[in-house]
Amino acid sequence: MASLNVPRMQRLLKQLSYGILIGVNCGCAFHLMRRYIGGPSLAYGPSMLPTLAMSGEILLENNFSIWWNPNNIARGDLVSYVSPIDPTRIACKRVIGLPGDVVCVDPTGEKAPSTEHVIVPKGHYWLAGDNAPASRDSRWYGPVSGQLIRGKIVARIWPPRSMTVFRNPISYID
Amino acid sequence: MDTMKFLFRSVFKSGLKPRFQRLRRMHSAWTSFTSGRPALRWSFIGVFWLPTAIVFTKYFAVVKQVSGPSMQPTLNPNSSPLRDVVICDRYHAKVEPHYERGDIVTVWSPSDPQKLFIKRIIATAGDTVKTLPPYPDLEVRIPEGHVWVEGDERFNSDDSNIFGPVPISLIDAKLLYIIFPIERIGPVPARITVREDPPRGRAWRHDMAAIERQQWRESRVTKRSE
Repeated sequence: MASLNVPRMQRLLKQLSYGILIGVNCGCAFHLMRRYIGGPSLAYGPSMLPTLAMSGEILLENNFSIWWNPNNIARGDLVSYVSPIDPTRIACKRVIGLPGDVVCVDPTGEKAPSTEHVIVPKGHYWLAGDNAPASRDSRWYGPVSGQLIRGKIVARIWPPRSMTVFRNPISYID
Repeated sequence: MDTMKFLFRSVFKSGLKPRFQRLRRMHSAWTSFTSGRPALRWSFIGVFWLPTAIVFTKYFAVVKQVSGPSMQPTLNPNSSPLRDVVICDRYHAKVEPHYERGDIVTVWSPSDPQKLFIKRIIATAGDTVKTLPPYPDLEVRIPEGHVWVEGDERFNSDDSNIFGPVPISLIDAKLLYIIFPIERIGPVPARITVREDPPRGRAWRHDMAAIERQQWRESRVTKRSE
């Protein structure tokens, strides 16, 4: 090989490190966009069957509405939140009770007697998975602080044949 | 070798250049436009690198000012007229969470999403802790993924004795270093140890009081998880 061209290598190295820094910056911008505005996210786990499948689904998250107005949560919404007992884990569950509601702790009677009821405290939400036997939710760690709720799940965008917009399924009986 | 040289050349000389040429021309036009306008240039640079700065403060470290008397005399003691400024370590709260008894942490109020408290961890998951009066039970076992937090000034603090064990996801950061009052600059240890052969003075009295408070704190945890 020919002798090393030192200034050229230095120039290349400088450009390379600058490129890496710009890549890191773009990654940070992408992360912040996902965190505060929303975007696609991968979901897995059995806790939300049959609404969401075990794996291989991409969901569209709307984090902006909750960042803008933390009280913009209704019963029946699908929300993503930081698991209270593990800060590195993000979970997706359905909102059952708003602050001040009286909820039945476990209608199946598995974790608590099915007659036990609690009042959801101020600033907290009662969240539960659709697939009760395989879900670790408010029945396990109690009502979840609103501080931990990140965003609402708006739609499923992958796989294309089961593309859905999630609507709030709750209807009230007067 | 010649093949390698040819490949290298084909990638770096002919492959990348045409693609980046337009970008480079735009860049040089921008630099010549801003060379006489330093304010524009520096504000653009600031906005461009803002995402990295925000992510750094959210996941690594941030400088904060402590307000309120609940951590007296460790933070904001009566002897200092100004509020303490501290470095908070978010890496060990957000990315690799790890807590010990005695760590000082900033924690979001469970009921009010706007309030951030600064408290000391008294007991971690699995411990049994003796509570103080406003709490309904005399002793409580800390459930999985929760901690018991209290202020050092126990008569002037809204803490776990009011709202119970706190889930660790509500912890925002760990206190790492006091930077502002110059006389108290330094790291904040989770556990104080006695100095060998101490000079008996003001500093010694402070240390003894801190150790007494620490012993009282540790005696409150009746059953430890390990």
